[in-house]
Amino acid sequence: MANTTLSAHKRDGTGKGVARKLRQIGRVPAVLYGRDLESVHLSVDAHEAGLLFHAISVENTIVELAVEGEKESFQTLVREIQSHPSRGTLTHIDFLRIQKGVMIDVEVPLHLVGVPIGVKNHGGLIEQMMHELPVRCIPSKIPHSLDVDISHLDLNESLRVSDLTFGAGVEVTVEADRTICTITQPRAALVEDESEVKVAKDGDTE
Amino acid sequence: MRGAAHRGSKVSFGEYGLMAMEPTWITNRQIEAARIAMTRHIKRGGKVWIRIFPDKPITSKPAETRMGKGKGNPEGWVAVVKPGRIMFELEGVTVDVAKRAMDLASAKLPIKCKFVIREEQF
Repeated sequence: MANTTLSAHKRDGTGKGVARKLRQIGRVPAVLYGRDLESVHLSVDAHEAGLLFHAISVENTIVELAVEGEKESFQTLVREIQSHPSRGTLTHIDFLRIQKGVMIDVEVPLHLVGVPIGVKNHGGLIEQMMHELPVRCIPSKIPHSLDVDISHLDLNESLRVSDLTFGAGVEVTVEADRTICTITQPRAALVEDESEVKVAKDGDTE
Repeated sequence: MRGAAHRGSKVSFGEYGLMAMEPTWITNRQIEAARIAMTRHIKRGGKVWIRIFPDKPITSKPAETRMGKGKGNPEGWVAVVKPGRIMFELEGVTVDVAKRAMDLASAKLPIKCKFVIREEQF
């Protein structure tokens, strides 16, 4: 798993006035919190943070936060990113400080690998219900991503959380019967089938 | 209409989305026209989600009518859309097909729209 560094400055003021002034000069207000730690109000460079968040998987990548004036950098996870709905500019960032050996909840991206039999042979459609899987583990064992082979799935078959296997020390925090993806018949094909049946029925009556 | 959409501003179901960039009322007919344009382009395959619903009734007075004499008759239904709102989502098609389908759909809508991809949002 890639570790990345982001520099931050401490900020004195809080509230919308201070936050707006920071955003005007190209910085984003942020906060750092965690177990046994007083909340620290920070600001980070908007451009630097934007580039970083586009380059990494935000939910499960440890970000080294180098706070100005602190001797050591903090190991953090990005807990929340607030952004403008249409412009996409960053508005606020929450960093959670992590500690060695303490279990944390993270969301790991799920990547489906392979072309299912139902798609290859029957023209089915992959419908992915879960794109991230919530897991609990210690920081050193956070999986970068989960690649799931779905090539064995036929039409109307689905893959569930219980079908996945994980390394030791990684615990899934959702129900085991939750569906990850299913291979369905495309709607257009369904409509065609129904019309064929209708035509056949009409033919019988005539 | 003030403000931006704070709910429904992320691609949540599919892989691709069509985001509104301006505030407007979108009528039930415009939603249906956009849906038809999109589904005709993707043909078989692909799944479409419509994330807006026209639940606001709109009244209007008949043409060449003097003011007064009460409120006009209900004439149709609209969805209130603010900038940032994801109106349609798509899954199960390639990015090129999805982009073209969304372009065709946005041509049926009275506002500027933006094609967005789930992976590119924070």
